[in-house]
Amino acid sequence: MNEKVTLPNSKKFFGIRFESIGGLGAHAAGKILATTAVLRMGLNGAHFSSYGSEKKGSVVRSFIRLAPAEKLIRSSAPIESPDVIVVFHSALLKNPATIAGMKAGGVLIYNGSESDEIPEIFSQLPSTTKIIRVDAQRIAVEEKSRPNAVLLGTLTATVPFIDFSILLESFSEEFSQRHPEAVASNEKAFRRGAKEIDRLSNIGKGTDDLPIMRADPVWGYENAPIGGVLPLPGNTVHNDLTVSRMGWLPLFHKDKCIHCGMCDMVCPDFCLVWKAADNNEVHLQGVDYRYCKGCLRCVETCPTGALTREIETPGMADKHRVKLFPELEGGA
Amino acid sequence: MSDVEMKKGAEEKNKQRSDFLTGNDAAALAIRDVNYDVMGYYPITPSTELPEALSMMQANGDHEISMVPGDGEHGAAGICYGASLGGGRVINATSANGLLYSIEQLPVQSGTRSPMVLNLVARTVSGPLNIRCDHSDLYFTLNTGWLILLARDPQAVYDLNIAAVKISEHPDVRLPIIVCFDGFFTSHQKRLIHVFENGDTIKTFVGKPNTPITALDPKNPATFGAYMNDPDMINNKKQHSLAMEAARRVIPEVLHELEELTGRSYPILDAYHMEDAEYAVILLNSAAETAKEVADQLREKGQKVGVLSPNVIRPFPADEFRKALKNVKAIVVGDRGDSYGADGGNMSLEIRAALQRDPDNKTVVLSRIYGLGGRDFYDDDAEAFFELAQNSSNAIAFDYYGTYKGEPDRNPPKGMPPIKAEEVTRSMAKVTKNAETGKLDVELEPLWAMSDVKSRIAPGHGACPGCGIFPMLHQMYRVLEGDLVILFHTGCGMVVTTGYPKTAHRITYIHNLFQNGAATLSGLVEMYYERVRRGELPESSDITFLMFSGDGGMDIGMGPAIGAANRNHRMIIIEYDNQGYMNTGSQLSYSTPMGHRTTTSEVGSVGSGKNFHHKDTAQIFSACHLPYVFTASEGFPEDLMRKVAKAQWYAKREGLVYGKIMSFCPLNWGVRDDAGQPVMQAAIDCCFFPLYEVEKGHTTISYDPDILGTRIPAINWFKQMGKTKHLAKPKNADIIKSFETEVDRRWKRLKAMHEHEEL
Repeated sequence: MNEKVTLPNSKKFFGIRFESIGGLGAHAAGKILATTAVLRMGLNGAHFSSYGSEKKGSVVRSFIRLAPAEKLIRSSAPIESPDVIVVFHSALLKNPATIAGMKAGGVLIYNGSESDEIPEIFSQLPSTTKIIRVDAQRIAVEEKSRPNAVLLGTLTATVPFIDFSILLESFSEEFSQRHPEAVASNEKAFRRGAKEIDRLSNIGKGTDDLPIMRADPVWGYENAPIGGVLPLPGNTVHNDLTVSRMGWLPLFHKDKCIHCGMCDMVCPDFCLVWKAADNNEVHLQGVDYRYCKGCLRCVETCPTGALTREIETPGMADKHRVKLFPELEGGA
Repeated sequence: MSDVEMKKGAEEKNKQRSDFLTGNDAAALAIRDVNYDVMGYYPITPSTELPEALSMMQANGDHEISMVPGDGEHGAAGICYGASLGGGRVINATSANGLLYSIEQLPVQSGTRSPMVLNLVARTVSGPLNIRCDHSDLYFTLNTGWLILLARDPQAVYDLNIAAVKISEHPDVRLPIIVCFDGFFTSHQKRLIHVFENGDTIKTFVGKPNTPITALDPKNPATFGAYMNDPDMINNKKQHSLAMEAARRVIPEVLHELEELTGRSYPILDAYHMEDAEYAVILLNSAAETAKEVADQLREKGQKVGVLSPNVIRPFPADEFRKALKNVKAIVVGDRGDSYGADGGNMSLEIRAALQRDPDNKTVVLSRIYGLGGRDFYDDDAEAFFELAQNSSNAIAFDYYGTYKGEPDRNPPKGMPPIKAEEVTRSMAKVTKNAETGKLDVELEPLWAMSDVKSRIAPGHGACPGCGIFPMLHQMYRVLEGDLVILFHTGCGMVVTTGYPKTAHRITYIHNLFQNGAATLSGLVEMYYERVRRGELPESSDITFLMFSGDGGMDIGMGPAIGAANRNHRMIIIEYDNQGYMNTGSQLSYSTPMGHRTTTSEVGSVGSGKNFHHKDTAQIFSACHLPYVFTASEGFPEDLMRKVAKAQWYAKREGLVYGKIMSFCPLNWGVRDDAGQPVMQAAIDCCFFPLYEVEKGHTTISYDPDILGTRIPAINWFKQMGKTKHLAKPKNADIIKSFETEVDRRWKRLKAMHEHEEL
């Protein structure tokens, strides 16, 4: 069982960073990959994820640090210059921090569709970066699996020392313990992840490793109000929660709406836009998808079918969005 | 058998295997194999995984430790103390303010010489609230009289958990012991470690506990905890101090025995590249390992640098430090926690004190506070410390490292304009007192008419999709009028709305930890009325005070909430009940229904979820004889809003109001994000969560499934949720029966009160 595997550079650590959103299974995938590398491939390793509170929809990073068996792993710090970056949600590619520290000659795998435009920040990548696209979301939906299964498969096809059959075996074992009914569909997703990949070329324009990014906080000790007090009521309106949606959104059909207000009573995200009408009534105008996390409680509650559950396609939210606070975005 | 054969047999029996475990997992494994008798605990991040892992093992029949969930850390410490007086073995795990909440029990435990083991998973002490690692909690334990071991990585967590038992129980020591490891860096990071294949190896190593006098020996009665004044106390403390001195001898002995068994060595003071070091960095736990990595690199460049990091800090290894630093020119001591105003963190102060006793020592000691609140310690940070040590002549003795000054023009996004009282005073629920009944009547506007009432909470908060806390708040804010000041207990509602430097709250908001919110708000209420009385605030400001707590906060914070209720302050306490400690990943609360799966009431071959019935908070507060107590559900908005309008009327005029509101948690109930309405409807229709109010002592049921013909068996509710799927199995029929019997008994009691004119 313990197959000896050789890392590209026996003197150095090999770093893998998963960039994801809570709910896509990056932590679980990192755990399976690292456990397999350590207990079945004869490597030394460490695995950990960034943690906030225990909730879905927030940004999660998972780190796998590998080394030859005889090399000690001592650092507990995050991996800033990874050899491999796996991006679980293409919306994360709007943020340059997602690809920060990418090593020259490394591998970048991202969950994206052929029909999407190639993310702009890819031009910053070293020209030697191998960029791999896999439509993990679509495959996961088709196979009733999760993107993490697909992306683990892709890793075996693109990182030479990660063995396909060893990883698949431990992946399936993990599922057979908890969800035996899900083994077959997840295996299929994994296999497709190893096959249905696009290798993009001539995109990165850089020459060296990308620089690492450590963001300073907004305030420092000379200008933050003492005691951590926040005199900034309601400034979460500046947040954009688009990435929290997992492929679905509610679509509003004004012609069917009777403006009963039931949806407003169940919406956790306060993203429904209302306006006083001439007849003293208050009418629903639509949804501000900037804040909508796609729970679809409004759809479930709507008595007239004026809100429907739709698969979110690229550009759909922007097209149908009604702004709650147009003044915040400079009239844009 | 020959000696060789015996040795071979022992080797076979003591065989170790490789595993890939986090610090918390490693501790849980050692705890399982020590086979403790009792664990008293209360979950707190990042130590929570430890009882969770043990709960999972218990559910699968892998150990028989009696696991007792405390009502808070103070209660958990009390459970541990009581259990330890019984002569068996006791274990606990905690972090940060959990530790501090229990801390008055720690000197009681050590002062009465009762051994036990506490895993302290180091985390920043609030406030402001922060869940990540530093050593501010550890430093509070230095004066508790406990022994303290430090575990730098998951392997050390495993090994030292085994050694700790034996050190603590040694007849010359008999002191409780802490094993401290770094939150997240060690507790949540998986590493390759070696563990014994057979748990008996550990059982044999620790042997049987030997407690000469116990509280479970009626034939030999004894008094524990006599009242002791001077001149006896100082002699008692001298004994305690002598026990610490004895530990200086016992600890290396036990660690040596452990080394014989494991092959792994733990010196009291870990010295790396120190033989000829001229400069050294001194750090505790995980950061020290990073510094070693960097020391290797600097040694290759010819720099004479080393790293010191103690494995034991109580008793403090002063001799070992003096020896190790004899010829060292300069050191940087990094403290992950400040002793404010003392010109250094605790370690640097103690190291300075140790060196002071060596008249020949000339080491320059620089003290740096670093890594607070989980700030990562990278290789280049360690490098900076080594560089500082080598250029110590111009450096100031004490400073913070890794801070940021800020830039004058850099600010977080602006807030929204304040909401004027008249914008939210729109008579959406008109309350009038019925002259005949003396009770309140409420006339509610239609839902559609409320849809453009300004919201006191902004979108953009980070709750999970489908979260029920926010519809509840939204519904309440529709009908509450005028200015509000709110206080949130620690919990989901707090964490997801106030991630610094942003807040979703558009009105004045306060957080205090959930053991004390009700007392805090009551203090503010009294300040308000006092300042109005003195003419310092206008009477017309007319503030309504509300507190929000999860059901967890109504376990740990029950005492102060009852106190506030008994004092009858003019305020409202709202409990959003989602049946568990969801913010920390779904541990059982006392309000979790029987049989429901949580991460501390796991389901497995022998475990079937929580094993006691749900807490009835509404009845507890009803017994405080408040003007108004109600239950509601965010799934029944009109009913909820009527009750909230009444609540405001009473809270302004008569005193404290308590409301328990069922709140949807799709993530931890194991249902779809959009299933809130049907699932909560089922919880109400099976009479688990009756909707009712107690107005001036008179109970009125608001929704009666019997009369409406909507009543369903509990299993129809359970079938809808992942956390209760297992209850449909025939082997769990008894649990369902017990649940239904209890629910029906409470329901009938409620109906009897509803029908009785005095109740």
